Amino acid sequence: MGETKNEYRLLLPLLPFLVIVPYLALQTDSHSTDFAWLIVVAPFIMFPIILIIGQVFNKNETWKNTWKEGGILGLAALSVSLSTTIWIVYDYLIGHADITNSGVDSWLEWISFDVLQSDYTIAQNRILGVGVWIDSLTLMLLFVATFLCFLICWFAIGYMTTDPINEDSNHRFFAEFVLFSLGMFGMVLADNFLWLFIFWEVMGLCSYLLIGFYYWKDSAAAAAKKAFLTTRVGDVFLMIGLLILYDIYGSLDFAVVFDDPSTGIGGVAVESGELFWALMMLFIGAVGKSAQFPLHVWLPDAMEGPTPVSALIHAATMVNAGLYLVARLMPFVDIHHNGVSGLEDFGLIVAWIGGITAFMAASIAFVQNDIKKVLAYSTMSQLAYIFTGLGSALYFLNTGDHHAGYFVLGASLFHLFNHAMAKGMLFMASGSVIHEVHHAHDHLHHGSDHSDHDFDPQDMRNMGGIASKMPVTSTAMMFGSMSIIGIPLIGGFWSKEGIIAETWLAYFHGETMMLGPAILILATAGMTGFYMSRMWFMTFAGQPKSDVVDHIHEATPWIKEPLLILTFITAIGGFALATLGIIDFLSNESHHLSLHGHSLQEQILHELEHAFLPEDNKLRMVGWTTILLSFVIGPIMAARIHGGKLKEGQKANIFVGWLVNLSDKFGTQDVTWLAESQLAEALDKRLYFDDLYEGIIARTVIPFAELSAWFDKNIIDGIIKQIESNSVLGSVQIRKVTTGNARDYILMATVGALCIFALLVGVNN
Amino acid sequence: MSDPLTILTLTPLGVGLLLLVLPQLLPQNFAETLRKVSRNISFGVSMGLFVFATYLAFENFGGIDWLNINMGEYQLMNDEPVTLISSIGVSWIVGVDALSLPMVWLTALLIPLSMLVEWDAKKGHIFHPLILVMEGALLGVFVALDLFVFYVFWEMTLIPMFFLILVWGGDDRKYASMKFFIYTFTASVVMLIGILIMYFHTGDISGVSGSITGHHFNLIEMNSDMIQSEGLRHLVWILLLIGFATKMPSVPVHTWLPDAHVQAPTAGSMLLAGVMLKMGAYGFLRVAVSLFPESTVVFIPLLVILGMSSLVYGAWVCMGQTNLKRMVAYSSVSHMGLIFLGIATMQPLGIAGALFMMFAHGIISPLLFAVAGAFKHHYHTLEIGSMRGIAHHSPYLAAHMMLGWMASLGLPLLAGFVAEVAILIAFWMSFGWWVLLPALTLIITAVYYLNSMQRTIFESNDRHHGILPESLHGEEPRDITWHENTSMFILGILTVLFGIFPFLFFDMMSDWSTEFIQEILLEAIINQGVKP
Repeated sequence: MGETKNEYRLLLPLLPFLVIVPYLALQTDSHSTDFAWLIVVAPFIMFPIILIIGQVFNKNETWKNTWKEGGILGLAALSVSLSTTIWIVYDYLIGHADITNSGVDSWLEWISFDVLQSDYTIAQNRILGVGVWIDSLTLMLLFVATFLCFLICWFAIGYMTTDPINEDSNHRFFAEFVLFSLGMFGMVLADNFLWLFIFWEVMGLCSYLLIGFYYWKDSAAAAAKKAFLTTRVGDVFLMIGLLILYDIYGSLDFAVVFDDPSTGIGGVAVESGELFWALMMLFIGAVGKSAQFPLHVWLPDAMEGPTPVSALIHAATMVNAGLYLVARLMPFVDIHHNGVSGLEDFGLIVAWIGGITAFMAASIAFVQNDIKKVLAYSTMSQLAYIFTGLGSALYFLNTGDHHAGYFVLGASLFHLFNHAMAKGMLFMASGSVIHEVHHAHDHLHHGSDHSDHDFDPQDMRNMGGIASKMPVTSTAMMFGSMSIIGIPLIGGFWSKEGIIAETWLAYFHGETMMLGPAILILATAGMTGFYMSRMWFMTFAGQPKSDVVDHIHEATPWIKEPLLILTFITAIGGFALATLGIIDFLSNESHHLSLHGHSLQEQILHELEHAFLPEDNKLRMVGWTTILLSFVIGPIMAARIHGGKLKEGQKANIFVGWLVNLSDKFGTQDVTWLAESQLAEALDKRLYFDDLYEGIIARTVIPFAELSAWFDKNIIDGIIKQIESNSVLGSVQIRKVTTGNARDYILMATVGALCIFALLVGVNN
Repeated sequence: MSDPLTILTLTPLGVGLLLLVLPQLLPQNFAETLRKVSRNISFGVSMGLFVFATYLAFENFGGIDWLNINMGEYQLMNDEPVTLISSIGVSWIVGVDALSLPMVWLTALLIPLSMLVEWDAKKGHIFHPLILVMEGALLGVFVALDLFVFYVFWEMTLIPMFFLILVWGGDDRKYASMKFFIYTFTASVVMLIGILIMYFHTGDISGVSGSITGHHFNLIEMNSDMIQSEGLRHLVWILLLIGFATKMPSVPVHTWLPDAHVQAPTAGSMLLAGVMLKMGAYGFLRVAVSLFPESTVVFIPLLVILGMSSLVYGAWVCMGQTNLKRMVAYSSVSHMGLIFLGIATMQPLGIAGALFMMFAHGIISPLLFAVAGAFKHHYHTLEIGSMRGIAHHSPYLAAHMMLGWMASLGLPLLAGFVAEVAILIAFWMSFGWWVLLPALTLIITAVYYLNSMQRTIFESNDRHHGILPESLHGEEPRDITWHENTSMFILGILTVLFGIFPFLFFDMMSDWSTEFIQEILLEAIINQGVKP
């Protein structure tokens, strides 16, 4: 273990799976969308296979070494999903398929039923089924999900199978992994709200299973429960939202509902009041799933799962579900296309929740020393950005400014893309660090004791100066952090700028309520610059903070490839896609990615001008303030506190070496007084939200449950017992019978019944 | 084959009784041989009946097109009603429709499975035949269309169950079996009074000859017009409700259930929760609602209160339980509440949801009780919190527990969710924001299920050892046996199957519900001015 081995031959079993899609694509008359079911069915079939084979051949050597305890099978299933997705995306991008025709396939009529209408007639044959819905949002998210799931599964083969603590239980991991992927793929493809919810809940189950993967650990089991229950609260409201929508439109199919959202079933005009509550309920569901205030408490704890799970949940799949749902709600408010007017409050609420969460999460991230926890709060904060952006979009679309609305919608979704790619990579990179630190620690203290609980391989205070030891990981993490911070020209910059600018634009257009979210996310931009830089400097720059660091080798197989691929995408993907007009594509303003008739040079200049020198003076000021805060002030402050040269004789590679050296240039600053302040403690306690919730539950729910149980035992059953002991039969009789002579009683009862019968016969005659 | 339902009902009854009685009569050595094989015979017969029931369902309801058959009519009826007791007008009439067919199939399914779970039961030569007798009685309840026969079968189910609890039960089995018997029997007698009042208002019909009283028990020939007085109709409806609601059971007449379940052997619990509780809901729809639609519509608020209190209160009580089986028993109370709510919506979807709930709960709750029983069997305790990290020692048990618990808390793609979502959609249509109560209860349900899992199969804080209960007395912990595993596996697969493809039964139930509303309830709904 730990030594680099050439394990690529293990990928051979993937070949038959990889040729399925090319074979189908080469058939004449085959449409990619007809095979969308493959995306979901492949993992569905593989889930029980991995689980059962794994359970039966648990300790088998071939299963362990050649099949990686199911990892190869999982990868095979995901490769089918990924190749099908690429085929579909390709078909749409080159124009083989018509993106305006979204409902492309029908899979299953789940249940059909009739409804008794208010005029006492029966409406026949309503159907709740499921099919495929493909538009630009689907394409983007489907690609993100399949692509990242594939890479994370690849990464997990290296990460999970080389950790002795997972011995003999990895088949469970990979089985749950593919089931989780299935949930996300299905949710993205589903063509109605009910099945969106169904797959949404499948993800909820899998997050429970995967966060609690180390089920024997108290903390993991508790975190899993917390995640499930917190999201369940949201889910229940989401379900109520579905009920209201069904009542309004008589259907939950996107095709029916979005055809004309202003007209409900039977041609009745939809009231904005009722629709507002439906949307709010759906939004609460999204808040739970995407870990926004006030249902955010589960996400940091969810780091208890193995690191690939964190990458999966927090980048590729689950947390994006909430964003996806809110983005799906756009047609309801888009008054340019038959939307229902009077819903701008909904947009404001979404934006405010986003703004509050962004700021809160970023501030908590300041004091985290656990590398994964920093990323967890960063995830919350970045998702909140997207929510703010979607809130602005909802607001603009409902107030009639659809150009601004579409632009910020596209920017928000583009940020989802950038964030997913960067965060998936960051989590995997952090996993790489943790794995190697852990391994080095085991190596160093070999034989002493495995149950050494004092050493925490995730604590950044044990790291420092790793840049020279892990060139690939440190480079990946640098680009990932840059993308999240929004360093100009890299990844997230292209989308974050848009979100901040448009939120301010809403304020400039006279909506004073938008000022709050606008200020909050602008401040958060600077804070992001600080905490992400802090994380990187603490981990990779400066002097080693423990003896473990010297023994680190970036040596585990299967881990580097995903990092390299994602580094490349994060570094140039944002710019490239922005140039190709992805923002217009995602907001359905254009139907394909292209240069729009300009030359490449023109288009690049256009994008740069749009980003750095917008025409509106106020927006230009907002843009440059963002850059100043996130690019200059935040990172420099972090460098002053945590930056520094590497140990003598250590050298980092060309990509990160300059940054390490630069971090040393700004001097040092001692912030111990701040770290010991009450504010830092409050942040460390996550602003007491967890304590508050736990306190409320401990003081209300639990006593009430105990009271109910007592009431049932002593009052309701007590009355019965009273009747029993005072009854005509008398306690003596009963005791006699309960001594075991039961036949007597049956006889007696039968005789009694016959007597009653005879009595009634007699009375009647 | 002219009368398959009669064969289906009487075979297990006959074989079961024969296996119980014969060893007493035969010479010693024959009796010994018979005792040895009686377990296998019982299982074989029940498997045969299951195959037969499945065949009936698929063959008689139209081959490939069996989903589209008109289920409003009774199917498979015997050609001529056979007069049983001519003097008081009792006849043998059997038939099934979409209300009873899933129940018949469910019964035929659960009997072999519950035998399998307790394959090694003590005194197996009595245990297994007794379950076979149980099957006959249960099937009789679901196919009988004569109220007298219905009532006889209804009471007959008590006897094998009574003995199952009394002989094979837990430490407190005597009290539990007596309570079970007296409680439900008393309620049934109340119901019997209702049935008799109806009986005395029936007129003469052809086909039942020689009746001295001039009345009959034929359910098909009865209707609400036979009782003139509205007050009396309401009274009869209430009497019937008391009988059926106790069986379901509904708050506040539910307290027999936890005691019975906790003491009952696993197979008994599985049948009790899986089928016997459904008898209440089935009888309610078949007799009370069908014959007294006006009263049903008048008493909608009562149904909502009963259903809601069962659902919400049951869930809260569940949370306060420390005994695994008790908790699962209360969760049955909670889930049965949804059936009343579904009926109270007066929407085809709601009623179909209630029917599907009967079926879904019928495959999920046996799984729950099989799991709880396995804890009792292998760890000798049901106390939640007396052990930790059991998943390490019993991975299969833990996996079945996970699936069952998740199905019961209403996870999509598992059978329970279909019923829940159908009932909730209908409930919103009829009652609006009141839906918050049942919906929020779903959170409570999740809380108690997850808590109980966390405090049994998770959290030992040791990778290689669970914390074993003291009741194990140092024994080596083990996983479930192959026959338990097989049984739970089948239930689990069905839970998934009917969660993904609910239309296998749902569409038939939905058709039935529509017709039920149109033919029986609609007039009452319009008359009472209930807004759908």
